[in-house]
Amino acid sequence: MKQQKKALALAAALIISVANIAALAQQPLDRTKVPPFAPTPVLRVPTWTKTQLANGATLIVSERHNLPLVSFSITFVGGANQFEPAGKRGVAAATASMLSEGTTTRTGDQISDALQLLGTGVSSFIGGEEGSVGFVSTAKNFDATLAIIADAMLNSTFPAEALERLRARTLVGLTTAKDQPTVVGSQVFAKILYGDAHPYGQRATETSVKAITRDDVLAFHKAYYQPGRAIITVVGDVSPLKIKSSIEKGLAAWTKAGAAPSFDYPKLPELQPAKIYFVDKPGSAQAVFNIGLPGPPRNTPDFFAIQVLNTILGGQFQSRLNANIREQKGYSYGVSSGFGFGKGPGAFRAGGSIFIDKTDAALIEFMKELKGIVGEKPITDEEIKTAKESLIQSLPQGFSSVFAISSALTSMAVQGLPEDYYQTYAKNVSAVTKEDLLRVAKRYIDLNHLAIVIVGDRAKVEPALKATGIAPITYIDIEGNPAGVN
Amino acid sequence: VINRRILSVMALALTISLGQPILGQKKGSAASDSIKIPFETYKLPNGLTVIFSVDRTTPTVAVDVWYHVGSKNEMPGRTGFAHLFEHVMFTGSAHVPYGLHDRLTEGVGGGNNGSTSNDRTNYYETIPSNYLESALWIESDRMGFLLDKLDIAKLNAQREVVKNERRQGVDNQPYGRVSEIFSAAMYPKGHPYSWPVIGSMTDLSAASEEDVKAFFRLYYAPNNATLAVVGDFDPAQAKAWIQKYFADLPQGKPVERPSVPLGKLEASKRLVYEDKVQVPRLYIQWHTIGIKNDDRYALSVMGSILSGSRTARLTKALVYDSQKASQIFSFQNSSQDVGVFQVIVTPRPEHTLTDLEASIDQVIQKFISEGPTADELQRAKSGLELSFLRGLESNLGKAEQLLNGSVFHNNPSYFSTNYQKTLAVTAADVKRVAAQYLTSPRIVLSVVPNGKKNQASKAAESEAVTMVVGNRRGGRS
Repeated sequence: MKQQKKALALAAALIISVANIAALAQQPLDRTKVPPFAPTPVLRVPTWTKTQLANGATLIVSERHNLPLVSFSITFVGGANQFEPAGKRGVAAATASMLSEGTTTRTGDQISDALQLLGTGVSSFIGGEEGSVGFVSTAKNFDATLAIIADAMLNSTFPAEALERLRARTLVGLTTAKDQPTVVGSQVFAKILYGDAHPYGQRATETSVKAITRDDVLAFHKAYYQPGRAIITVVGDVSPLKIKSSIEKGLAAWTKAGAAPSFDYPKLPELQPAKIYFVDKPGSAQAVFNIGLPGPPRNTPDFFAIQVLNTILGGQFQSRLNANIREQKGYSYGVSSGFGFGKGPGAFRAGGSIFIDKTDAALIEFMKELKGIVGEKPITDEEIKTAKESLIQSLPQGFSSVFAISSALTSMAVQGLPEDYYQTYAKNVSAVTKEDLLRVAKRYIDLNHLAIVIVGDRAKVEPALKATGIAPITYIDIEGNPAGVN
Repeated sequence: VINRRILSVMALALTISLGQPILGQKKGSAASDSIKIPFETYKLPNGLTVIFSVDRTTPTVAVDVWYHVGSKNEMPGRTGFAHLFEHVMFTGSAHVPYGLHDRLTEGVGGGNNGSTSNDRTNYYETIPSNYLESALWIESDRMGFLLDKLDIAKLNAQREVVKNERRQGVDNQPYGRVSEIFSAAMYPKGHPYSWPVIGSMTDLSAASEEDVKAFFRLYYAPNNATLAVVGDFDPAQAKAWIQKYFADLPQGKPVERPSVPLGKLEASKRLVYEDKVQVPRLYIQWHTIGIKNDDRYALSVMGSILSGSRTARLTKALVYDSQKASQIFSFQNSSQDVGVFQVIVTPRPEHTLTDLEASIDQVIQKFISEGPTADELQRAKSGLELSFLRGLESNLGKAEQLLNGSVFHNNPSYFSTNYQKTLAVTAADVKRVAAQYLTSPRIVLSVVPNGKKNQASKAAESEAVTMVVGNRRGGRS
């Protein structure tokens, strides 16, 4: 022992003297110390101008000159949920897609070739509550690209044969979607939560797609693409004055009409006691979980508390759900949770794809974490601190490209957020208290009324799933109807 | 490319770029002026290559480390190991306890991930710029001290996670096994590209602690790594931190890089695979070349002349004119040593895969005999500039460009070569590669609904896929 100590001391002395000779008066590096970090960089929120065009559209312009790029979009407040006639789900998407099928002066091929030569692609889509047309181009090609997109939006001819081609391709897409367990899971989940009468429970089906006529498309086009509900957002290497005249010129034919729709949704179906809805997919290697219930709209005063809550529960990699079910238990490649914020009662949803043999074990863990977040496993100060830091310090990432800035500014306008939303974001997140978190958890994660939708191999998991005793099981088909009943 | 996490911006970007035409630029514009990424590069005495690129636009920074090792470096019986190891790299190291890595990235508004391909493995952090030092500390610690606290329980948990990644991406995914069927069919047994990056269930179960240690010592030394720092930072300060955290990590043994032969088929082969799908799909693959061969530029231009836009040859003929197909894609995929050209087509009802294959062949035959028109060529190149400029908006995107050039071409500004050489592709180049590669032996794979082998293209001549790389039922946990 002693001798050893001596030898060590000698060795140490030697090392020190070598270091002295080398005149490296450096401290040995202590790698256990977490490096200090400088203060958080000052948040630089982009500035923008907001004006109204003569036709009623709102114009938002934000300059960014680091690269010769421009992002352009026209976003319409309201979407398929507000404008599609009953029984015609799918007409919005069909119309959006057919804008590029030809205009009074250009064929579909000519539009495609011209855009390809300009080096850009135009996006056109209509979702549940908003729709848009847009592109990102080089600054030099902006005016030429705008001319094409304006032509496509205003002067489309919607050729009948194009509708038939699109319909046939859409039907193939609907068929392949049925083979995709994750798609089936989210479709069935929506149907269980909202029912057939609520737009959140509806989607394009074979029947509705087959029912769409060219007249439906023409009518939808006329009713939907109106400036009174449009927000035009331009971000990038532009000057606000010049861009306004470019846009007024490019969209001269677009005359005043329309207004933002109201978002009156029908009443939700009555909440059901917690139940497992099982869709049988024999031979599945995994069970796809969707657990949740309808939640609050985006304009809830609880928004910031919910953001913090979900970051702790399932918004991140080290959130409770993923840390447990993926990292500790190894049941999944990843699980998460989220709130589907919109104008109406978007869903709270927790879920992921689970190894089929662990379906019961994973459900037990999901329920444990949900019970935990509503009070059984109190939220810690450290969890709150991490969640808040994470949310606040991720803001700059949202301003890192012309497209990202455009999305941020447009979404403020669509959701009617205050102009200082980003400047006050940190303050609002910081103000959330532990009591707020418990209150919103209890309010929005209602354990007694959860719909637990599982797509998997019934024969393999049924006994074990029953044995958990978590909730009664009801069997449904991939359309969300009672299994065995048409 | 297989990721640690499901949601990956990179993966998303890749999907989009595959789905879209490669683009081009207008004649006579000074586009090449904008095709630049300012950078500096240096090497530490232990062999670590460092690349800096400063961009102060957003107060964020990306730290991205590439190790020049991928699934092709695995030993038979240990497929999937490089990727499993990637997961181990997130389980903590001697001085960075498990969880702290995530706390100092996603927990401060940033992110992290890793991915593994046949050829390389990467690890990155995207962070607010005031967290650069801690990101460098984390990367240095797992480069130098991973084995000191190797936790076998965590290795086992990650093994299960990876098996679930395989279930999610392959076994429970319609058409999910196509990629590994091709790997096995295109290359002879034992060829480094003949197995899938995700590996087999059996091999994943077999990986031992000793495998982890040996793999780390051989491939995770500084001399086999390249570190890029891109974004809002002070290079002098970053240099000092890199000196502090990386300089004393010991150099490893030189990594041998055996030359890998190109894939070659003696004869064409037809395969049929039954899957849990309702709609059949046809896949055709030809051997081409890897990234070191300049034919890749013409092949990639050819991909976007054949499919992508609505006037592209295959798209126009099959989706718009005859309307036999609901979708068609074609593209060149270049790895470090090998490459393939691939066509994927989904039929509309009432049209057989046999019919679609014949139509594709007609289009290709015509294309081989006449080559592209000047307009087609120009259009195919027109989006390059915009796509490059948009890439410059992301710190991580720039880091990946610089690293790709540095690791595979010994030239961080290889992106510029790539750009210039793609612009320089002529109609004669495209015609030549079409004739050279699309007439060579190929593999035609029909994926058909269970029990419907008769739906395969030329069903009577098609051989059922029997190889079971994935050992579907092999998960034991």
